[in-house]
Amino acid sequence: MIAAVAQVQPGQPLQLPHVDWVTIGPAGIFFVGGLAMLLAGVFLRRRVPRGLWSGTTVVIAVLALWPAFHLWHQIASGGARTAIADAVVVDGFSIFIDVVIISAVVMAALLTDGYLRRENLEGTEFYVLMLFSASGGMLMASANDLIVVFLGLEILSIALYTLAGFQQRREGSQEAAIKYFVLGAFSSAFFLYGIALVYGSTGSTNLGVIADFLRTNSLTNGLLLGGFALLIVGLGFKVAAVPFHMWTPDVYQGSPTPATAFMAAVAKAAGFAALLRLFVSTFNTYRLDWQPIVWALAVLSLLVGSVLAVVQTDVKRMLAYSSIAHAGYVLVGFQTASNRGVAGALFYLFAYAFMIVGSFAVVTLVSGRGDTDASLDAFRGLSSRRPALAFVFTIFLLAQTGVPLTSGFLAKFYVISAAVEAHSYALAIIAMIAAVIAAFFYLRLIVVMYMAAPAAEGEEAAPTARIPIAVGAGMSLTIAVGFTLVVGFLPASVFDFARHATLLKL
Amino acid sequence: MTVPGAWFLTLAAILFVVGAVGLLVRRNVLVMFMCVELMLNAVNLTFVTFARMLDDIGGQVVVFFVLVVAAAEVVVGLGIIVAIFRRRAGATADDISLLRG
Amino acid sequence: MLGFPVLTALIVLPAIGAALVVAIPRTRPEIVKVVALAVSVAVLVLACYGLYEFATGTAGFQFVSRHVWIKQWGISWHLGIDGISLFLVVLTALLFPFALAGSDAHHDVKAYTAWMLVLEAGCLGVFLALDLFLFFVFWEIVLVPMYFLIGGWGYEGRVYAALKFFIYTMTGSALMLVGILALVFIHAGHTGHLTFDLQTLAREQSFSGSTARWLFAAFAVSFAIKVPIFPLHTWLPDAHTEAPTAGSVILAGVLLKLGTYGFLRFGLYLFPKVSHDLAPLLLTLGVVGIIYGAIVAAVQRDLKRLIAYSSVAHLGFIILGTFALTTQGVQGGIIQMVNHGLSTGALFLLVGMIYERRHTREIADLGGLQKVAPVFAGVFMLVMLSSVGLPGLNGFVGEFLVLIGTFISRRWWAVVAATGVILAAVYLLWAYQRVFHGVPEGENLKFPELRWREGAVLAPVLALIVFLGVYPKPVLDRMEPSVRTLVERVDRQAGTHQPSVAQGGHR
Repeated sequence: MIAAVAQVQPGQPLQLPHVDWVTIGPAGIFFVGGLAMLLAGVFLRRRVPRGLWSGTTVVIAVLALWPAFHLWHQIASGGARTAIADAVVVDGFSIFIDVVIISAVVMAALLTDGYLRRENLEGTEFYVLMLFSASGGMLMASANDLIVVFLGLEILSIALYTLAGFQQRREGSQEAAIKYFVLGAFSSAFFLYGIALVYGSTGSTNLGVIADFLRTNSLTNGLLLGGFALLIVGLGFKVAAVPFHMWTPDVYQGSPTPATAFMAAVAKAAGFAALLRLFVSTFNTYRLDWQPIVWALAVLSLLVGSVLAVVQTDVKRMLAYSSIAHAGYVLVGFQTASNRGVAGALFYLFAYAFMIVGSFAVVTLVSGRGDTDASLDAFRGLSSRRPALAFVFTIFLLAQTGVPLTSGFLAKFYVISAAVEAHSYALAIIAMIAAVIAAFFYLRLIVVMYMAAPAAEGEEAAPTARIPIAVGAGMSLTIAVGFTLVVGFLPASVFDFARHATLLKL
Repeated sequence: MTVPGAWFLTLAAILFVVGAVGLLVRRNVLVMFMCVELMLNAVNLTFVTFARMLDDIGGQVVVFFVLVVAAAEVVVGLGIIVAIFRRRAGATADDISLLRG
Repeated sequence: MLGFPVLTALIVLPAIGAALVVAIPRTRPEIVKVVALAVSVAVLVLACYGLYEFATGTAGFQFVSRHVWIKQWGISWHLGIDGISLFLVVLTALLFPFALAGSDAHHDVKAYTAWMLVLEAGCLGVFLALDLFLFFVFWEIVLVPMYFLIGGWGYEGRVYAALKFFIYTMTGSALMLVGILALVFIHAGHTGHLTFDLQTLAREQSFSGSTARWLFAAFAVSFAIKVPIFPLHTWLPDAHTEAPTAGSVILAGVLLKLGTYGFLRFGLYLFPKVSHDLAPLLLTLGVVGIIYGAIVAAVQRDLKRLIAYSSVAHLGFIILGTFALTTQGVQGGIIQMVNHGLSTGALFLLVGMIYERRHTREIADLGGLQKVAPVFAGVFMLVMLSSVGLPGLNGFVGEFLVLIGTFISRRWWAVVAATGVILAAVYLLWAYQRVFHGVPEGENLKFPELRWREGAVLAPVLALIVFLGVYPKPVLDRMEPSVRTLVERVDRQAGTHQPSVAQGGHR
């Protein structure tokens, strides 16, 4: 786009680039759908049937699958390509991330329905922000220009800041919003400065041009490496990799829980999509320079995330730290810069989206009106109050621990095998040790739910209030559990999906 | 008078660092917010300088994108800040410390 | 070989049983027990059918069933059974109905039974798997039900014990996973195809000596934790003591064998040369375990803890036999696995009965039980003597073969280990004397006699204890070809020969 404009001579008619709308179909449907819902919400403020907005969101998300499948078939037969003046790329990788984001949106939208009713916050805005944010994430995944990545990142983030502060009346939510906002803007500035430095050293913001330039020229000045570092810092914030994780626990804890679920799944998927696209594809020739940095980030994220999660007493915070550790596993796959590593990272993101949305869905239900209590005590004796809920949560926790016959095990298996294949034995062992440390707190939660000793005399009795489970939340949990178990048993098709997505990468 | 491009880059880098340090040390949310803007404008200066040095208009076009995005960020950011100030007048970053652990 | 997939059924049946149990309404616990018993007995029948159909005198895998699971990764559902795993499978199939019938859960029978059946499926899977991925999956799966059984139905310190058990074992398997993957990818790097198949990997070995040593270490640590071998044993007394009775029976009877089985099937088979080179280290640890376990057991005040430490000593014998790397030693090791499963399983059940009656396991609180419950005391005596290794009972056969096998190849270790036999007699008989002899006082006067139902549960195990002690030949015959092939493989790779006396076998 930018290059095309630059070549226009004075006096000539403007040659606009051809816009192939299908190529940005999934993101486009989300964006247009979001706008339409916003308008509809204004006119239908009163008297809407229950679950209308949630249902509409799900329909929009499922509709977006259609161009995704269409494009997948096109790519499978015709190969990956770029479109819209080389600004976006249509490849298996972007479709995979689209599918991950769509899944997360469907589950989060179903979960949100009951939540908004419980909190008396009914309206379209929550869903609209979710759709916009998701469209930004999809744009990041299919971007072929650093500026498009930046735009996608900002669309994703600005909507997320608002989602984090959606419960205006709760101080925690406000605090989460302002913290996320300040640190998010901070990291965006870093990311942008990284783009500037890469632009300055390669002469373009187009990923294809940059890759070609780097293949034919070897740069020795620090400008490009500085750019790499700043890009990693910027995206590291988004995916919550240590040492750029400080915002994560606060924001995850303070945000409305469905927003946390959405944020955890989508922001991470989109952030990693950009990281993988930029570094593994575009900066591949310089991988010896960036691999050690990613190695260090992976080790730090794994260990810090796991160790700090152990000492948490708030389940939302604990899951936040565990999501930092999960980022570490994806970084393990990323670090190898191999096809298996990228496919492993993709598979991990997919499996993780279901586990984390499911986990936060349980937290949404248990923490009760106003998200007041997500402490470990709120979960005490859950198995006797809501056996099904406790069982489902146990599955998510075991999946996050990496117990076989769940998708979580296969995700770990995939990235670790990539690390072993790349002879990163130390990293593989550290990752497994982190999994053992992480097992501590997942098990602790299970213990609280199942094996909590009956309250002794004088102690406060375990909470006994009945936990209502909204229909939407139930559906959301069913989808998440179904995926976690079915893929855990029969992973071959999703393995293939991830592998093809990687091979069909531009 | 000719000024080497490196000077501009250095100035931009200094502004960026000033913004980053300011954000980390200042406690007033509005000032932190201004520091972010300073960082973004430092990047804009970098882009313009590179565009000039590379004789490529693309870098200048980027600045427009950044300006628009920054404006959008300001809208959302101020909205959040206003929501907080409505509850607690004169809040600084130190007061916003409900979430910790 | 056979149309009916026996081995697949062995794993699937308990899993289906668990699903059935979950489907039964919470208000009908009595049906739960019937279903669970029926399923576990059906598994036992299937296992016995396998035992009956098993072709004696062949070394290879039988009843092999193989289906592709994840094609791209060369992972398949590959099961098979040979002389080494055969009796462990039968033992597992026997101990589960034994444990289920022999003790009741004190609450939430449904969940308890479902976990037991899942555990059975997992344990059988470990013994049957011939694919490293499949093996690892089962190996890890076993942890979950055991964790819940200890943590949910155990005694006072159950949560701590369950966590300790889980973390210890998971640490080991974490290393093993890296080892498995390294093995597979090194193989793939040399041959160009990715496979997790055990036999293929063993056949097409493609790594240098030092690599093999690291890989072996990764596997060995995991197995050593599970066995447990001396310095890694500290989870065992806690887990055994705090687990509910059935949990202890299975833990001692089956779960510990997963580790020793792992050494045979994966350690020796995949890394014959390294196993030979590192044998002195493992033998030493085994001997240390025998002596240490015996001494610590002798000073225990809790009867259950005493038996737990006696397991450490017994497992030391198994390690000793395995790493003697002679046919007799390995055979002795395997038969000792079966013996330990029977006798320690029965001992834990008996201690569970004592606890149910007296609500204490403190040896000091008990005394003179022989006077009030002579039959109970007699049964306890028999099982305990089997554990001591009295000639004529099964324990003797195993310990004798282990000591002979070790004496042939590693004389001094055998000599030291033999003192362990004496120590075992000391601490077990001493414990028996304190609990059963003397004059009963207070609560002990009202100690109820063995009930018919309890007797009926114990009878098959007692019969096997005597049978294996008197006539072990059928068992030895079935395991001998597989064991000899394995030992020959180690010898060939290590370039040694076992002394001719050790090859005599038991024909």
